Amino acid sequence: MLKIFQRLWQVNWAEQWQYRANLIMYLLYGLVSPVVYLSVWRAVANSQNTVKGLTAADFAAYYLTLVIVDKLTQEITIHIFAYKVQDGTLSDDLLRPTHPLLTNGLMYNIAFKVLTLIALAPIWVVLFLAFRPDFSHVTAANLSLATLAVLGGFAINFLLGAIITCIAFWTTRVYSISEFIYAFALLLGGTFVPLDLLPVAVQNVARFLPFQLFIYFPIQLILGRLTPDQIRMDFILQAVWFGLALLAFGWIWRAGLKRYSAVGA
Amino acid sequence: MVGQTQKQAPIQVENLSKTYQVAEREGGFTSALRGFFKRTYKDVRAVQEVNFQIGQGEVVGFIGPNGAGKTTTLKMLSGLLHPSGGKVQVLGFTPWDRRPEYLRAMTLVMGQRNRLSWDIPAADSFLLNQAIYRISDADYRQTLKELDELLGLAPITRKPVRNLSLGERMKCELAAALLHRPRVLFLDEPTIGLDISAQARIRSFLQEYNRRTGATILLTSHYMADVTALCERIIIIHHGRLKYDGGLSELSRQIAPFKIIGVDLATYAHADLRAYGTEVPNPSGDGKCLVQVPAEQVAAITARILAEMPVLDLTVEDPPIEDVIERAFQEKVD
Repeated sequence: MLKIFQRLWQVNWAEQWQYRANLIMYLLYGLVSPVVYLSVWRAVANSQNTVKGLTAADFAAYYLTLVIVDKLTQEITIHIFAYKVQDGTLSDDLLRPTHPLLTNGLMYNIAFKVLTLIALAPIWVVLFLAFRPDFSHVTAANLSLATLAVLGGFAINFLLGAIITCIAFWTTRVYSISEFIYAFALLLGGTFVPLDLLPVAVQNVARFLPFQLFIYFPIQLILGRLTPDQIRMDFILQAVWFGLALLAFGWIWRAGLKRYSAVGA
Repeated sequence: MVGQTQKQAPIQVENLSKTYQVAEREGGFTSALRGFFKRTYKDVRAVQEVNFQIGQGEVVGFIGPNGAGKTTTLKMLSGLLHPSGGKVQVLGFTPWDRRPEYLRAMTLVMGQRNRLSWDIPAADSFLLNQAIYRISDADYRQTLKELDELLGLAPITRKPVRNLSLGERMKCELAAALLHRPRVLFLDEPTIGLDISAQARIRSFLQEYNRRTGATILLTSHYMADVTALCERIIIIHHGRLKYDGGLSELSRQIAPFKIIGVDLATYAHADLRAYGTEVPNPSGDGKCLVQVPAEQVAAITARILAEMPVLDLTVEDPPIEDVIERAFQEKVD
């Protein structure tokens, strides 16, 4: 199995390396929103010293951590698989004695992630110098816990993405469904605003939804802004959501394959 | 126990059926609007109650016009599609269970599709397949060497697949599909779009592969040359139903029990052969007059022609297989 992942890595890396220019475009496009949010919040914080206790440097730390965490836990499964269900090219993957999404799909995501992070590094340094974030509370212990949180967050996000992708077995409108859910993820995951700035009622809902588990939770963990109780609770939530997502994915994948019509020759 | 017992035919198909539900609507805005709220579906019965068995090492041609249900059947046999009814056992497995043991023992090659990654050299895809199909290094080297001998792969596997010609790509596709030495091969139009010599090479390769490995092969093709070269047995399917299952030569006898007599005459004038049988056009341009006669009268009529006409040369041939198949599609064959 290790050899399969190793070879899949080589193939996916080689394939994506050919499209690296394309990838940098995506990366820059993806950076526009967080930088805009950061600039807005910084302006607000500067005008009134703090927003709910957060200074301009705190916002800078939050969003500069976000751009990394977001890349680490993001997934693009729908873009590499939904069309295959629709045009029948999924057949090629299905003929192989490995799970298309859990092997090739996963390695594609990881190769994409690594390439994006490499491209992000120099841009991040520029942003760091420009926005002067406050990273004074980051500790090695937090970082190692955050590694687990990022892995858990990516696993959940990947499975959610895979589940949404599987809706393609039923409808060709799967991209709009995905966009719709993504909008919720932006708001309730902590990208638009750090969650503690949302109304309490919304916070209480967002807390138990999976979105914050792959954005807000790892960021706050890295920045040392969570109590041990909060950390424990979020890890439990990650475990629960991972289990639920795994079950749901198993079900929708099997049901989808029964519907699959392998169109085209 | 999963897996095949020795005596069993590797491919067993019983009452296999597949019905697709296809959404349909007429053109125009109002029907589009109506379709948004209430969709109407039509059942398309692509495969209906098909039965056959294929024995170990057999090469069987699966023939039918476009839309007959050939590809749908192959997709069910290779586990891509769940059938609407019926039973299939291939090597003792139910294909659509998609057990890894089954997927490692079979292959499906679709001539109109490329499975190799477009952006990287075929050699890299081969290495990936080695890992995916758990092929040992020794077996991998051995099989690749054999495939190279048969297909002449060496010069082309290091180029990105996108830069290969169609023929070169097909060779790589076949090699990738056969690296794990499948015991059952489903080939859907493996020579489509290839020039005559490339077709011939693929054909002799398949023959050799079958001889060396004893693999069971079910292949569809619109090129009758593929079928006559490779298959002793053919299965004809039309409108989703099995029309014929038997020897290629028996089919000719059954469907087209006649022979074609070709006559080269000493006179330039077009001879009137209508007295001997039905005249048929000669597409070859060799100037022979062709006449179609019932098979059982061929000796008597040949003797009459030789006695009554100034004959330079005379040939007796079976009707072209394309014509026989064409007739089979049109007639009901039992």
